[in-house]
Order: sequence, then structure tokens, then C-alpha cells
Amino acid sequence: MSKVIIGADTKGFELKEHLKNYLKELGHEVIDKTPEGDLDFVESTKLVAEAILNKEGDRGIAIDEYGAGSFMVGNKHKNIICAQVSDEHSSKMTRDHNNASMIALGSGIVGKKVAEKIVETFAKAEYAGGRHQIRIDMLNKMC
Amino acid sequence: MKISIGCDHIVTDIKNHIGKYLESKGHEVIDNGTYDHERTHYPIYGKKTAAKVVNKEADLGIVICGTGVGITTSATKIKGIRATLVRDVETVRYAREELNVNVIGIGGRICGVGLIENIIDVFLETKYKETPENKALIEKIDAMIEDNEQANDETMFDEFIEKWNNGGYPAE
Repeated sequence: MSKVIIGADTKGFELKEHLKNYLKELGHEVIDKTPEGDLDFVESTKLVAEAILNKEGDRGIAIDEYGAGSFMVGNKHKNIICAQVSDEHSSKMTRDHNNASMIALGSGIVGKKVAEKIVETFAKAEYAGGRHQIRIDMLNKMC
Repeated sequence: MKISIGCDHIVTDIKNHIGKYLESKGHEVIDNGTYDHERTHYPIYGKKTAAKVVNKEADLGIVICGTGVGITTSATKIKGIRATLVRDVETVRYAREELNVNVIGIGGRICGVGLIENIIDVFLETKYKETPENKALIEKIDAMIEDNEQANDETMFDEFIEKWNNGGYPAE
């Protein structure tokens, strides 16, 4: 089971609450960094990324209306690889190939059922390692 | 417009298609590679494509790899780049209008060619609509990376490529 850090801005708050409960029902531990729902996506995503860098958990989920803002903010952190996803396949592949520690979701872009499968897949999929590691080393040298 | 494009070896054909599509619409294309299907590494091309944008040699950038995640992440890690990885048209429209993104990423194994072309059309047509709220968000995003020389540091990845060439990474 994974320890999942989750956070959202105001527009992502409702989906965050839904996914938090869904992940808990699956047996994952969930740490909610934005219980109040009063932050913009820069602040909410920073809380998730910093928690991942501090090793408070092993997967991060950041939510805003489109996922675009959270994606940028996540990746502007050194040693964070954040994937903007709206489909289950990308969620699996980004763990497998990119060792992404975070995903960014758009509450206005994905419906609840797709979002559930995205986070469920992200929480359990593992990094394949191997040849992919050179690309991860390159990304982690950046910014 | 001048458009900087880049890809990894998984989606070179799609990048070539995008280049031709852009030229057919009257745009000038700077193709940063990769140019064939030989195994290579997406951060090299994401960074090169992004550098053309921050150096103002290109107006906007488009990057693609299998899911788009790796190459778009590498572009986003360059100071001054605001990028979004998209699988739908509406996210591009928002990201241009509100966040003034200068690079988009697309998963070449995720989106079909029709959707890719539509995403590109909207990316190029949509203008940033400045408001005090979105300007403040953009300033906060841009301030996250300190000034550095990474965009134009062409030897930055050499240590890893040397290790790769010396068998320091697994082949599979």
C-alpha cells in the first residue's frame, strides 16, 4: 500500500475529497495537505511537492481545474517528476517509465470514475528502472 | 510564427508530420530532433526545444514523446518555460489564455493525429488574456526556478551519455 500525499486548490477541492476517500477505501494511507481548500494551485501544489521531497509519502497528487498549473508547479521543483494525466494508461506508463512521484489532475477535465482509476493505478504501479534511469538522472539534474 | 519542435525516438514520425503540418500553415519550423528511430533520451530534445523559446529564437514550442510526460517535464524544468501536457483541446485553450504557456507537450502514443492537429491549431490561435489574477500566478510560477544557465548548457547531460555509452545503464 502507498502513502499518498494529496492537495488541491479551491476548484480541485471537491475532487480531492472524493479521491481521498476512494484511496482510503482501497487501503492506502492518505495525507491531505489542503484540508481548507482556500489556496491557489501554486500554493497547494508546493505543499504536495515539498511533502514528497521531505519523504512524508511516496506518491503525490495535485489537483486544480485543468491540471496544467499543478503540472508546472510540480515540475519546477528539483527532483520532482510530475505527470499531467487525464487517462489511466498515462498514469501507469509514467510510473513505469518516468518514475513520476506526482501526478497533476484537472477536476474540470476528468470525471470522477476516470479520476478514481488514474489515482488507483498511480498508487500501485511501480517504476521499471533499467534503461529508463538515464532519463531520470537527466531530469533530476535540471532546475 | 516560428515554432520549435522536438521528440524522442518513439514518435519521430509524428514529429515529422507536425513539422509538415506547421509548414503547410505558413509557420517556420525549428526541428531540434531527434531525427531517426535510434534509441535516445527525451530530456535532450525537451531541453533543446525549450532553449529556442527562452532564447526568443522561436515564438512557441511543441514537444512529444510516448506519453508526453518525460519530454514535457524536461521542458518545464527550464527557467522561463511554462508548459502543459495535454490530451484535449480545452486545456490548451485555458493554458494559453490564462497561463500564457509557451510550450505544449503531447503524448504521441496517447493522442491521434486529428486531435494533435486540433490541439496545435488552438495553441497557435489563442492569445493570452492578462488579468491581475493570472499575472500574479504566472509571476509566482516563473519565480520558482532561480536564474541559471541550464537552457544553454550543452554539456549538461554529457556525464550520463558517457555512462550510457560505457554500458553503465542496463540495456532493457
